[in-house]
Amino acid sequence: MRKFNAATKRLLAGITVMALAIVPLSACSKSDSDSSDKILRISTIPQGETGDKVWAQAADIFKANNPGWDVQFVIQDDDLYETVGLPNQLTGSNPPDAYYEWAGDRIVQRYNDGFAAALDDKIASSKLGSLFDASTFNAGKANGKIVMLPIGQDVTNVLWYDKDIFAKYGLTPPATWEELMTICAKLKAAGITPFIMGNSGLWVAGNWFAHIYSRIIGEKMYDEIMTLKKPMNSPELVDAMKIVVDMKKNGYINPSANSIADNEGYTLFFKGGGAMLPIGSWIVGTQKDEAPNKKMDFFNIPAIAGGKGDQTSVIGVTVGYVINAKSKKIDKMIEFFEGFFSDEITAAWQKQGSNPVTKTAMAEQLDPLQIKLGKLIRSGAPIVAPPDTGYQLKIADALNLATSQVLDGVKTPQQALDEAQAKISKS
Amino acid sequence: MKPSSRWTPFILVSPALLIFCFIVLVPLTGTLGLSFARWNGFGSPSFAGIENYHRAFTDSVFLKSFRNVGIYILATLFLEVLVGLILAGILSSRINTTVYRVALFVPVMLPMVVVSVLWRFIYNPDFGLINAIVRKLGFESFAQVWLGDPKTALLSICFVSGWVYSGFYLAIFTAGLQRVPRDIIESAQLDGATDSKVFWKIKVPMIRSVSEVSALLCITGGIQGFDLFYVMTGGGPYYTTEVPTTYMVRSVFRDQEIGFGSSLAVLVTFLVLIIGFVFSRIRKSGETSIEY
Repeated sequence: MRKFNAATKRLLAGITVMALAIVPLSACSKSDSDSSDKILRISTIPQGETGDKVWAQAADIFKANNPGWDVQFVIQDDDLYETVGLPNQLTGSNPPDAYYEWAGDRIVQRYNDGFAAALDDKIASSKLGSLFDASTFNAGKANGKIVMLPIGQDVTNVLWYDKDIFAKYGLTPPATWEELMTICAKLKAAGITPFIMGNSGLWVAGNWFAHIYSRIIGEKMYDEIMTLKKPMNSPELVDAMKIVVDMKKNGYINPSANSIADNEGYTLFFKGGGAMLPIGSWIVGTQKDEAPNKKMDFFNIPAIAGGKGDQTSVIGVTVGYVINAKSKKIDKMIEFFEGFFSDEITAAWQKQGSNPVTKTAMAEQLDPLQIKLGKLIRSGAPIVAPPDTGYQLKIADALNLATSQVLDGVKTPQQALDEAQAKISKS
Repeated sequence: MKPSSRWTPFILVSPALLIFCFIVLVPLTGTLGLSFARWNGFGSPSFAGIENYHRAFTDSVFLKSFRNVGIYILATLFLEVLVGLILAGILSSRINTTVYRVALFVPVMLPMVVVSVLWRFIYNPDFGLINAIVRKLGFESFAQVWLGDPKTALLSICFVSGWVYSGFYLAIFTAGLQRVPRDIIESAQLDGATDSKVFWKIKVPMIRSVSEVSALLCITGGIQGFDLFYVMTGGGPYYTTEVPTTYMVRSVFRDQEIGFGSSLAVLVTFLVLIIGFVFSRIRKSGETSIEY
């Protein structure tokens, strides 16, 4: 066998030394990761400037009771978080110990994929059990197990209106769809855009019109379409979508709707760019941060004559936090949430404009708009699930895209829904 | 010189080979493998045969994304390469142009996400700069929903791309033009050639290889284009700005169809390789051009 000469030996020796140097370095990096075992990672969507302060307050309570521990928040834009962000974080090398979620199909999927811990026993044996009414946990169940700690009930879409504009033109919240259209005609004649939205993410118009569709075709049929028991291009939905054509034809929605983001839509509304904004309950917190002097109120979609659905229905979803089943710090997470749902932090969330659902929060609402929103969602009217958080994202995308195509006038309802159905069938 | 041991070359290439394996070969092989699978990113993948490829070839959005990227490449060949060439020609025939060169190169140094966000504001139909100027000048009817109208969205992105990368090609062409011998230019000028003739008849042919590389960079870069599209329009409205890369990301991360997305990635990689190969063949066949 040929032997290595001196130069090659030196080279090999060099490589060996480098390799040996890498081992302790990797060990260092491992030990860094080990030390991070005392960090709770929580992934969530932005809560606004004041919301961040409440988070920090909750983290401080936990850290005071657990010296040496830290709490990290991974905050991602809600559009990104809902779609790409959270799945990536969960499958990444540093997954969160707990994360924000929307009740419905999403938490069932998380539970089935092994990313949601069943919390029934933990809730029963901790303070959490006494902080909530037992029924509050129902929305956060997957396959009969509690997997989500509810932080609030989002009304996903109501019609917010500018009180000054309504007062100026002597308008009052309508009771029927016809009255709403009369209001729109009056506003349009006065040179005011009736509805403002930022729909580049497609979900704003998607949620609003999905609620309208459910009112027209009935909640049952809406659910059957969204769960693929009936085709997307069912004649009933095609007919219902004609309401979008009318809105487009009359110019009742800002022409820029499909090109601006949801938050740009809020800004436009706050700046007086239009009279009404179809969006969810979270706008209360945003308004407090961005336009504290704006006077606004809301009304639910008014009754649509001849509609097969319950004309008092509310579109909404329970939101909350899921503890990652793969986390090794589940008990610490429970401890964190005991502080997070304490009376002190609940009061802070209420001041911020959120709508928490702990026992004390429900007994003492602070913000008048939140009280009204709370009454609406707990009125006993049927709750319609929004497409993007209540159903599979792919199906929601198909319906939302069809709605925005019709809204822009590039497709008829039949064409848009045929295309949506074809896309769903292919995948 | 012959190596002293037959192992020496292998030992010397091994670090580079290892890095190449980890950052190119392993992901490439993994993607190729996944392109034959059905997988949502969780759980175990299952074998799908050529189903993903069949779906890709019949997927109207994927096919449309190639049409979109084709338009984008054609537009950017003009807005980036040709404009870069003309700017380089103008600036190289003048003195004291450093300020202009730096100014034109600044957009290249900005992160694309920053550029995209900046231009989203400029294009904003309600309070953006362009519509504000147009309205101020009294041309209300020219105010557009730039990024929300299928007729203008793609061209608006092409324009931003031109704004950024014309400075990049300006730098490349300037370097090429500086290598053109002065005596040839002076001879032409003595014979009465105008600046324009010197540029188009002498300088441009003499930097043909630079132009070819620039065109290749523009075409292959165009196919890989992602950030502008993703941030400015997200592929919308109605897929009119969807390009293969944004559709790939949508399939993999939003729809959680890793197998299908991988098959798209394989097809795009294959296409880039073919273009590179064809381009190199064309270049070889035309290698009788002027050398300097």
